Amino acid sequence: MIRKILIVDDSPVARKMLKNSIPKNKGYEIFEATDGQDGIKKYQMLKPDVVFMDLTMPGVDGYTALEEIRSLDGNAMVIVTTADVQPKSISTVMERGAFTLLKKPAKANIIEEALNKAELAIKENNG
Amino acid sequence: MDNHPGNSDSFFSGEERDILQEVMNIAFGNATADLAELIDIHTVLSVPDIRLIDFDELTDYLKESIPQNQVNSVAGQKFWGDFNGSGLLFLPSGSERALSKFLNLSRLDSPVEVGIVKDLDDTMKSGLLLEISNILIGACVGKISDLLDTMVSYTPPELLSLEKTDYSFLIKHFDTEQRAIVMKTLFQFDQQNINGLLLIMTNDKSIDWLKKALHAFLNAYEN
Repeated sequence: MIRKILIVDDSPVARKMLKNSIPKNKGYEIFEATDGQDGIKKYQMLKPDVVFMDLTMPGVDGYTALEEIRSLDGNAMVIVTTADVQPKSISTVMERGAFTLLKKPAKANIIEEALNKAELAIKENNG
Repeated sequence: MDNHPGNSDSFFSGEERDILQEVMNIAFGNATADLAELIDIHTVLSVPDIRLIDFDELTDYLKESIPQNQVNSVAGQKFWGDFNGSGLLFLPSGSERALSKFLNLSRLDSPVEVGIVKDLDDTMKSGLLLEISNILIGACVGKISDLLDTMVSYTPPELLSLEKTDYSFLIKHFDTEQRAIVMKTLFQFDQQNINGLLLIMTNDKSIDWLKKALHAFLNAYEN
């Protein structure tokens, strides 16, 4: 069951848009990180069930943070949210273990659908 | 990188600048996806930078943004509507040869017909720059307009200079009485060692509309 969600994005506006698009009636606890480095740190600290990860960020970018988080936790559920929807970017994040990739700006129904799929995948992983 | 430079605070609130930065990020991401679809090239993106400058400071701004002595070619395109301004694309000299491979313009790589190739080179270089510029500026401005719920019209892309290091000539293309909101994105064509710069500039005429449109964009995501 998803309880904690971590949003990793350098843009405060992108974090706000995403936060507002996450269903309110599910009781999720939502945390925020401002870049890849902060995302890795907060992942270790908070152990969120799902991470929404931007790709283009200053310092540690989303590709690196995704790889690092997946190396720390092979079951980490990372949903990439990005404007960079070039074929190579998509294949790279999927190779690095992203659960799925959502094109920015993702609408509330798309976010909800991705969370529902993540919920099912978590249940399957837990047997 | 510093995400909050310049004097845009006097013009835009912090939130307005953040919205514009995110809109530019989304728009350029879409533009590069369009380019990848058309010519199968991957672009490495950076975080966009938003600044407010006077148009007469443009040359200094470019000196700051472009590596010293880097020889660039510049193509531009104007757009108008609620969102009014210009897009400028800077690509370093020599990038045409690498990019030509992606557009099946292999003639640029041919060592033969040297006497003729010089003319063809310049024609093809400018043609290629105009094509890339048309895709990137058109798609980027188009997506910004789409996100901000408006439509723009475009002039055809224009080659403004071929292989220069001095950009003071650009000033004549703008009204120096006006201020410019400059949305800058640096990018790299993957595995080509080509670092480019895209500027989308709008002016005083669009400010009131832009501020309203930015808030409407964010409000669509408010509960």
